[in-house]
Amino acid sequence: MIIENVLAASYELFTLTTMMLMVSGVVAGLLAGAIPGFTIAMAVVLVLPFTFSMTPVQGLATMIGVYVGGLSGGLMSGILTGIPGTPSSIATTFDGFPMARSGRPGLALGIGVWSSFFGGTLSAIILILAAPQLARIGLEFQPWDFFALVAFALTVTASLAGNNMLKGLIAGLIGLLIATIGTDVIFGYPRFNFGTDALIQGFSFLPVLIGLFAFSRLLSDIRMPDIANRKLGDEQTKTVAIEHRAAAIAVLKSWVNLVRSSLIGVFVGLLPAAGSTISNILAYDQAKKASKTPEEFGKGCIDGVIAPEAANNATAGGTLIVMMALGIPGDIITVVMLGALLIHDVIPSPSFIADEPVIAYSIFISFFLANFMMLFLQSITLKGFLMVTKVRMYMLASIILFYCAVGVFALNNVAFDLWTLFVFGILGYVMRALDFPIVPIVLGAVLGQVAEQNLSQALAITTDLTPFFTRPWSLLFITLAVFSCLYPLYQKHKGTMRWADFYLPVFLGSIVPALAMMDGWIRPAIGGIILIAALFLLVQRSRKNDHKPSTAN
Amino acid sequence: MRLNRDVYVGIFLLLTCAVFINATFEIKAPLFGQMSSALWPRIIITPLAILSAAFLIRSLRLKEPEWEQKGSLINWFHYYKNPIKCFVLFFVFLVSLPYLGMLLGGVAFVFSMLCLLGGWTPKKLVLHASVAILFVGIMWSIFTFVLGVILPQGEIFLYM
Repeated sequence: MIIENVLAASYELFTLTTMMLMVSGVVAGLLAGAIPGFTIAMAVVLVLPFTFSMTPVQGLATMIGVYVGGLSGGLMSGILTGIPGTPSSIATTFDGFPMARSGRPGLALGIGVWSSFFGGTLSAIILILAAPQLARIGLEFQPWDFFALVAFALTVTASLAGNNMLKGLIAGLIGLLIATIGTDVIFGYPRFNFGTDALIQGFSFLPVLIGLFAFSRLLSDIRMPDIANRKLGDEQTKTVAIEHRAAAIAVLKSWVNLVRSSLIGVFVGLLPAAGSTISNILAYDQAKKASKTPEEFGKGCIDGVIAPEAANNATAGGTLIVMMALGIPGDIITVVMLGALLIHDVIPSPSFIADEPVIAYSIFISFFLANFMMLFLQSITLKGFLMVTKVRMYMLASIILFYCAVGVFALNNVAFDLWTLFVFGILGYVMRALDFPIVPIVLGAVLGQVAEQNLSQALAITTDLTPFFTRPWSLLFITLAVFSCLYPLYQKHKGTMRWADFYLPVFLGSIVPALAMMDGWIRPAIGGIILIAALFLLVQRSRKNDHKPSTAN
Repeated sequence: MRLNRDVYVGIFLLLTCAVFINATFEIKAPLFGQMSSALWPRIIITPLAILSAAFLIRSLRLKEPEWEQKGSLINWFHYYKNPIKCFVLFFVFLVSLPYLGMLLGGVAFVFSMLCLLGGWTPKKLVLHASVAILFVGIMWSIFTFVLGVILPQGEIFLYM
């Protein structure tokens, strides 16, 4: 069955057109990732209109090319200029830039490229192995569980807004409210159209996404006249040759760090809303803690480049696992991919891999392949990156704004979509200016209909609300949602308030009932282990607190 | 207690909730006794209103940030000069789209935006015109001839 699916997907994927599109996607991603201020998400968003006329396999393969290229492109500017091209390469600059400045830019780039390659390849293998298994678990989900999963995805996204948790939650709810405008998904009744015919159809997903995300981001970048007139890169940046052989050997010698960082990347990718921005810093931190020479970190240490680059590429595999197995986007990039699937009338759900094996296995193979393409195209793109750095920000912004308009119009050939883009561009810009996070709004707008459909199905089965708390998966997600809401408070009071010491054991203890209620013996057994760990932590922290005076009192 | 930016945001959010809650009463009731079309929006608006009220209360307790105290309408306009220019230009581009079409309107939009953000010196005017014509032309050609999208032609071309 697997071989049949792989062959069928390969037949669709290994055509000259698709391969050319993937190569273009990887090059575009590498360039976009290398340009400081130009995020991977924006690159994937901007590629989406080009995929309308493609087959689903071609469109997704191109977007995966952009995604993988973008994750690796950030290392070029990070290492050569000290300015990370994307937030996912922040930690790469800590050691990559000092290494380049100490006269080893070719080796630093090589280590970054090979770490990205190995990290991406490892996560591709995990994706292929884990996604179908997770999808089987997803088949256990009933409407209550899906509704709770959406609630968890939104709360965890909001909680990552840190001190702005309140703003994050408000943003998520605004996103959900935006999704209700137009027509009711169940009965098709008009809703919130305020007497306007144009609003009866609701807002298309793409103009809302591009307006909130790309449009507002571009205008934020050019707000200050001196930054708008600045060139994208450092004038002094000179071209260098990547030392592939020496770098590959150095990376393989640090295989423990490589594997650990890749696993951190995959794990972070599995969590909703936590993306490569978090994984690269987390992996760097762990590499430093595990190192025998932590004092070398920050001075051009090889392990300091391997860890973030392996982790950020591996994160892509994790986010794709969740999207393909559960049909829930974990971050803005998978939101766009989900949108691309919907445009081609493919509905992502737990049965996606079984229902659409050709598309699913095409995603697996193209993700695997994109890592190889990235490896070979990085050297070529390096020259292109040096050319792009000569462009001024305002020029790039002007051209991209026009491109956004053309791309949005191409979706439905309706001028109303352009007005949607304009209105949501203003909304996104205002929300950014007011420090409201954008990702929860976008996720809310995308997941709103999923939540409503599942709630409606749940209430059609029974008006009793107790299944939300008696079904194990639903209970697990609700528990996780509650604790993700409390997480910013925990972070704020960690080390200063006594209750914060008990956050982790109480959290672990709270998820045990849900695990204990699940079928089979593996998950209840995991629950038992977690319970023991929770009790151990509880006792340990109680004793610790008995010996130290609390600052809270 | 002094009014700050977040207070206005909180009030605006509460007013928005009021408008939407009111609008839910105009939604048609379902025929089959299943979940009402107004239920889900109300489930969203209720916590939104509570959180907005909490946000407003928190904002009222906050001291006014220093940068806001020095602000005036002129300073505010100066601070957001570039984005306002871009939004105005994009608005004009959208209004003129049925008349100028995507190609001509696009060239005009990109050229105006480049000049407003980058400057008006003769050398820059030539550069901006070249960039606008080249890139808009390429994009228009890709979408029209390669992707087969029928972009707005513009009434102006109908009379030519």
